[in-house]
Amino acid sequence: MKNTNQALVAFAALLLATAADAGDVEAGKKKAAEVCAACHGPDGNSPAPDFPKLAGQHADYMVSTLKKYKNGKRANPIMMGMAAMLSDQDMQNVAAYYAAQKGLELKY
Amino acid sequence: MKRDQFKGASLSNWLAIAALSAVTATAWAEGDAAAGSKKTHSCTGCHGIPGWRTAFPEVYKVPKLGGQHAAYLIAALKAYKSGERRHGTMQAIASTMSDQDIADLAAYYANLAAK
Repeated sequence: MKNTNQALVAFAALLLATAADAGDVEAGKKKAAEVCAACHGPDGNSPAPDFPKLAGQHADYMVSTLKKYKNGKRANPIMMGMAAMLSDQDMQNVAAYYAAQKGLELKY
Repeated sequence: MKRDQFKGASLSNWLAIAALSAVTATAWAEGDAAAGSKKTHSCTGCHGIPGWRTAFPEVYKVPKLGGQHAAYLIAALKAYKSGERRHGTMQAIASTMSDQDIADLAAYYANLAAK
């Protein structure tokens, strides 16, 4: 019984953690149209081969990458300028939006 | 007359060389997806498992590669190889790859049709 309670608490904590991390897809769509779409495409399937597709990419990977551009750990003149304009919440939102689009797939 | 023939031969030789170089350059740059499919042994352990997460130095799901632009994958691997882009595991793996390996793997992952 005690174990069950502990498991429930852990599960609830996990749910809360997930909810706190989740971006707002609609807000992300709006921000993406302003900041990202010109190069990465409105749905993240970028038309230019030099710019990576984002559609279907994992949201947490994109957030991690955006933060690295913003703090200078990953150097790219274009993306450092773009990421500088995004708050942490903006990053969560645009990542949630692009992750929800159809594009990239897992390939073995 | 002799001089004209020589000039003619010279021009077609140059054309042939130019054509051959173009073919060679294209073959090298495009990569061979079939060859790439046999070189994924150091990729699949992370990139081929649904929802697989990195363990260090930070935790996030490793990026999906299927359908990504080959040009971007090539640029990413070369940046890891040169150290311009930093990630311990990816730098170590990319450093073992030749330019041909990189082109082949990029061609393989860019092509979603042939799994």
